[in-house]
Amino acid sequence: MRPRALVLALFAAGCSVAASPSSSPSPSPNVLSVSVEQASAWTRNFNPLLVGAARWPTRSGIYEPLMIWNAPAATWVPWLATDRRWSADRRTLTLTLRDGVLWSDGASFSADDVTFTFELLRQHRALDGAGLWDFLAEVRAIDPRTVELRLQRPFVPGLVEILQQAIVPAHVWRAVADPVAFTNPNPVGTGPFTEVRVFRNQVWELGKNPRYWQAGKPAVDALRMIAYPSNDQANLALVEGEIDWAGNFVPAIERTYVARDRANHGYWYPPTGATVFLYPNTARAPLDDVRVRKALSLAIDRRRVVDIGLYGYARPSDGTGLSDAYAGWRDPAVAADGWVRHDPRAAAQLLDAAGWHRAADGVREKDGRRLALTLEVVSGWSDWVRAAQVIARDLGDVGVEVTLRAYEWSAWFQRLQSGAFELAIACPSLGLSFDAPTPYYAYRWISSTSAARPPGELLPTNWNRFGDARTDALLGDFERTDDAAAEHALMRQIEARFAATAPAIPLFSSPLWGVYSTRRFVGFPSAKEPYAKLSPHSEPEDLIVLTHLSPRRR
Amino acid sequence: MRYVLRRLALYAVAAWAAVTLGFVLPRLMPGDPATTLLARLRGKLSPAALASMRDALGFADGSLVHQYVVYWRHLLHGDLGLSVAYFPVPVGEVIGTGLGWTVALAGGAVLVSFAAGTLLGVVAAWRRGGVLDSALPPLLALLGAVPYFWLAMVALFAFGYALHWFPLGHAYSLDRAPAWNVAFAADVARHAALPALTLVVATLGGWMLGMRNTMVALLDADFIKLARAKGLPPRQIMLRYAARNALLPSITGFGMALGFVLSGSLLTEIVFSYPGLGYLLVEAVRNQDYALMQGLFLLITLAVLAANFLVDVTYVWLDPRTRAHA
Repeated sequence: MRPRALVLALFAAGCSVAASPSSSPSPSPNVLSVSVEQASAWTRNFNPLLVGAARWPTRSGIYEPLMIWNAPAATWVPWLATDRRWSADRRTLTLTLRDGVLWSDGASFSADDVTFTFELLRQHRALDGAGLWDFLAEVRAIDPRTVELRLQRPFVPGLVEILQQAIVPAHVWRAVADPVAFTNPNPVGTGPFTEVRVFRNQVWELGKNPRYWQAGKPAVDALRMIAYPSNDQANLALVEGEIDWAGNFVPAIERTYVARDRANHGYWYPPTGATVFLYPNTARAPLDDVRVRKALSLAIDRRRVVDIGLYGYARPSDGTGLSDAYAGWRDPAVAADGWVRHDPRAAAQLLDAAGWHRAADGVREKDGRRLALTLEVVSGWSDWVRAAQVIARDLGDVGVEVTLRAYEWSAWFQRLQSGAFELAIACPSLGLSFDAPTPYYAYRWISSTSAARPPGELLPTNWNRFGDARTDALLGDFERTDDAAAEHALMRQIEARFAATAPAIPLFSSPLWGVYSTRRFVGFPSAKEPYAKLSPHSEPEDLIVLTHLSPRRR
Repeated sequence: MRYVLRRLALYAVAAWAAVTLGFVLPRLMPGDPATTLLARLRGKLSPAALASMRDALGFADGSLVHQYVVYWRHLLHGDLGLSVAYFPVPVGEVIGTGLGWTVALAGGAVLVSFAAGTLLGVVAAWRRGGVLDSALPPLLALLGAVPYFWLAMVALFAFGYALHWFPLGHAYSLDRAPAWNVAFAADVARHAALPALTLVVATLGGWMLGMRNTMVALLDADFIKLARAKGLPPRQIMLRYAARNALLPSITGFGMALGFVLSGSLLTEIVFSYPGLGYLLVEAVRNQDYALMQGLFLLITLAVLAANFLVDVTYVWLDPRTRAHA
């Protein structure tokens, strides 16, 4: 039995037998306990320009972006900027900044801060993780309330990177000698929570910004982050009532968590995370044959993959391969395309047509070559490993011999990037939540001729090494328009192209983990009130939730 | 004294070899930190950004010899570099989050376990066939054989979750600011009790059995018979004659155990949410964090060497023969 299952079995048993009163030590009132990151001890790092390394909520509580993409509502929420405007040629973006915003040290926020931040990224490319300067040409202040960004070429999808860039104060960061190696121990930000009240290795607290620009907000005095080294400990604290908001995966959550306090305990696991794909290495035979790729797709029983691999929390993919985050973009005709249905007979016919015939031992052969593939997974990522086991069995049923191979994360990722694999389970953004207004990146990251590089060369995305000139052209057109009708028309064609070329085999759109308790605080988003995502792993969207929560009145 | 000096020279050579190994081993691992970084940075990092990131991290490209020289130069300045996993926090600061807690918890547990186990072993051997000798060793061997993870989970479930005798985790109450006073010390002790207890229970059997078996063999030795024949008090024979000699092999084991305290006790740290070095070591390996790995290896190496040196000195004191040969 895996450790995690064992622990939960133990504690689930405890729930019914011990029935101990929840005698949790109540932290000071009006302090919201949040569990997002897992660590055995906290290190003090509030550098918002380095993606992934700073403490949560550096990029969604201390610092703020210009605008926030609210995925469930599918709208841009004006934040530090109140308005944005493209020029007719889509080469210039003009932003109007909000009046009356103060930094937490009292200085006022202006266009100077915005231009300084973008200039910082240009000078220190290590900070430009989003690759903004791959398409930006110049950023300048027109007046203290207006910023103009000029692009090297029309690139409308870059809007999400520009608008969601965290802005830092010029008057503080100008004095920082090396912003890349700067841990920013005492942050000065515009966000709702900026005061580090306590910082110890096991717990830290972030107090509210007394000068926050949204009058009367936040209603929560402080956030408290407690160090838990793994999911089990965080889940235990959740069950004990020590945590108010968490981004945890909780197995059998109805029984282990919700049933303990039906009035207050809730969760929302919407399948709006990234789509998980079975990546074929299309630079290698026989996976360069679209018929073989489609046959693999038809052989997989996605319902069973989801039920066994993800406890039924995910949603099997449709023909577009889009996650539910892009539900509004889905072309029903493409979604219903049969290439992702479970149909082993059709799979067998496709393989026969491609010249792969069953040999005596049941495995298919062509010109003396057996149809034997290895499927690579990360050891320890148990949900994907279970999914891979189901897939290997399904493919075996149609005469494709699949060998599972588990690697340590970094070895696995290197093989994926260098094209050393045959089949792998992965998702384009690899676990990091990335929501964009359009599925542009979702498709570009699995189909782009720029990925046609020699094997061995590391690719940051497009590990399937698939390119299609027509998709390229459509994506190119998409970059140049911000007209909704034109965008949808183009995206329908891109989706159709995806279903026709099968660059990668979509499996399921993964859930976003979000759990809450309303014992002390109210106002969490939920399936009934989806005003924003519940999962706190959503930078910078968490800002919407953090400014919305309030203590329960007694 | 000459004996001690000669040992010191030997340790200097061992330290050099170990530090060099700490440099070589991480570089033999598959994968490289740049690719892990790529993943951390959403897989969209442009080549230019990656190059400057590598510069910022201080990956000395160029020949291994050059890297080796840079490594030593930084080391001698006490600069362990910036951690990749916790970038851009310096390695020294990352290690600082766990060092003290590991020394206190794992070190304390090893001390208690060694002292109690040895004492129990002495008594068990002296009263061979008695209640203690027949009941305790099998029980402790059983507890030692149980997978530690399971033992810790059961202890946490029973005494922490169900009975609420001990806190469910962490090294101190979260609402209490660390301070050098009695109240905080008591709080730390309360939190350390259960994890330390599981560590002691899991290792006690080894010490006890080791000591008992050496003791039993020694009790038949001629010098013990002579001591008995001279009519010395039994307690003096047990402790000054038998135990002192039987302690020698155990002391070696103790030195090793003490040295490895700094590699942390990963499972204890995870089950009890206890800060420590074991978790950092695993994170370092997962993230190809050479700097953090080297820092931890260095620390562990020095600790093992120091502990061994301590053992050597103790030997000189315990065993007159080492003095005679020197």
